[in-house]
Amino acid sequence: MSYNAVEEWSRGSSPLHRRAAAAKLFSLTVFLLVLATAQRRLPLLAGALALILIAGFQVASIPPLAAMWRAAAVLPFTGLFAVMSWMSGNPTHAVELMLKSYLSALTVLLLVGTTPIPELLGSLELVKAPRFLLTVVQFLYRYLFLVVDEAAHMRAAAAARGGMTFQAASGALAVLFVRSHSRAEAIHRAMTARGFDGRFRPLFEHPFGAKDVQFAAVAAGLPLLARVLTDWYR
Amino acid sequence: MHIPDGFLSTPVWAALDALAAPAAGFAARRAQHGFDESKAPLLGVMGAFVFAAQMINFPVGVGTSGHLVGGALLACTLGPAAASVVMTAILAIQALVFQDGGVLALGANVLNMAVVGVLAGYLPYHLWGRGRMRKAAIFAGGAFSVLASAVLALAELLLSGVHMPAPAMGISLGLFAVSALIEGAITMAVVGALEKIQPGFVRQPAPGHSVLVSALGITAVLLAAGGVVFASTSPDGIEHLAMQAGIAKPLSSYGGGAGVAGTGLIFLLLLAGGRLWRKRSA
Repeated sequence: MSYNAVEEWSRGSSPLHRRAAAAKLFSLTVFLLVLATAQRRLPLLAGALALILIAGFQVASIPPLAAMWRAAAVLPFTGLFAVMSWMSGNPTHAVELMLKSYLSALTVLLLVGTTPIPELLGSLELVKAPRFLLTVVQFLYRYLFLVVDEAAHMRAAAAARGGMTFQAASGALAVLFVRSHSRAEAIHRAMTARGFDGRFRPLFEHPFGAKDVQFAAVAAGLPLLARVLTDWYR
Repeated sequence: MHIPDGFLSTPVWAALDALAAPAAGFAARRAQHGFDESKAPLLGVMGAFVFAAQMINFPVGVGTSGHLVGGALLACTLGPAAASVVMTAILAIQALVFQDGGVLALGANVLNMAVVGVLAGYLPYHLWGRGRMRKAAIFAGGAFSVLASAVLALAELLLSGVHMPAPAMGISLGLFAVSALIEGAITMAVVGALEKIQPGFVRQPAPGHSVLVSALGITAVLLAAGGVVFASTSPDGIEHLAMQAGIAKPLSSYGGGAGVAGTGLIFLLLLAGGRLWRKRSA
C-alpha cells in the first residue's frame, strides 16, 4: 500500500528514534496541551511550535516537506469550518482552527514517525490503558494493509466487470467479512501453537534511561517556554 | 465525522476524555470476558475489515456512492462490547497513523462512534431483532448509529463555540439523515448476505432485555439530538443558551483551568461510582 510511509519513517535510527516511547508520549501530551489551551497571540506561538517540529523532523531524518504534506490531510475538513467561521465574521477563530488542527496533526506525525506502533502501544500500558484493547489495536495495525489490499483487489475486479450494483457490493462485503473471520481464526491457531499468551513483545525496546529524562525535559520544556514567552510578550 | 484536535474547547475535550476512558475500559473488560484474551486477533482483523470495507463503494444514486461505517454491523455480529473495542481501536489507528481525528479529541470520537454509536446501533436489534421486525431493526440500527454519532459530534462542536450559520446547519443535518439511511440500507444488505453465506456469523439477541439500559440509551441519544436542535434554532447557538441561563461568558471562553478542574471532578465521580458498583456486585 502506498500510504505506508509512517511505518518506514518509524524504522529509522536517529537520536529521536532511540528515545524511549514513554518520554516521547509525555512530550507529545505537553506539546498538544500547550497548543490546545493557547488563546493569546496564537500565530506567534504557532510559528515557534512549527519551528520546533521542523527541527524535530530534521533530527529524525524525516523529510519535513513530506510530513507537512501528509499532515495537510486535516485541512479539507478544517478548511470547511474555517470558511464558515470567517463568513460568520470571526476570522480569528478561523485562523485558530487551521493552526491548531494542522500543528496537532504534525506533532502526532513526529511521534509516530519516530516510534514504531508496537513500542508506542507498549508505553500506553504504563498509563494503564487496557491491555486487551492495546492487543486489538496491535492486531488491527498488523493485518490492516493485508485486508485493505484484498478489498482493493475485489474493487479492481468489480471495476473490470463494469462496476458493482448495490446488491453485488453487499455480497462482496459479506465475502470479505467471512474471509477476514477465517483469517483471524487461522492466525489465532498459529499464534496459540507458537505460545502466544496475549502479549506482544517488540523486537527492539528502548529502556527508559537518564537520556530520556533529559530529552523529555527539553522536548516538553521548549513548547512550554514558547507559550510563556508569547503570553508575556507585549 | 472524526473531530480533529483544535476544534473542541478545553472543557469539552477534557470532559469527554474523562468520560470515554472509563467507558472504553469497561467495554474492554466486557469484551475480554466474552472473548478470551487469546482471541484478540479476531477483533483486530475485524477492525481491519471495517477499514477495508470503506474501499467498497455502494452506488446510491446518480454519480454518488456511500460506504459502510460499521458500528451497527459489528454490534450485530460480535456483540456491543466487542464492537465498541473494535471501533475504539479503529479510531486510535486513524488518529495516530492517518491523521484522521485528533489525539486530545480521541475521547470525543470514541464516545460518539465507539460508545454511543455502537449502543445506538445495537439498541433496535436488541429490542426487536428476534421477531418479524428483524430487518427493520437492523436497518434502524445502522441509521440510528450514524445519526447519533453525527448529531453528538455536531453538538460538541457547537458547545465548543464553533460557528455554523443556520443554512450550513440545515445542510449538515440533511446530509446526516441521508448518510444514516445509506448506512441502514448497507447494514441490512450485508447482514442479509452474511446470513445467506453462513447464518452463524450474525448473533441472535438474547431473549429478555434490560428496560433500564434501553431507556437510558434512548434518553441519552434523544437528549443529545434535542440539545442540538435547540442550540441551532437560536441565533448564537450555545452562547444564547448560556446568556439565557444567566452565564455571562460562553462556555468556550473558559480557560484551561476550568477544563482541568472539570475533568478531575468528573474523573473522581466516575472512579467513586465504579468502585461502589464493583463493591455491590462483588
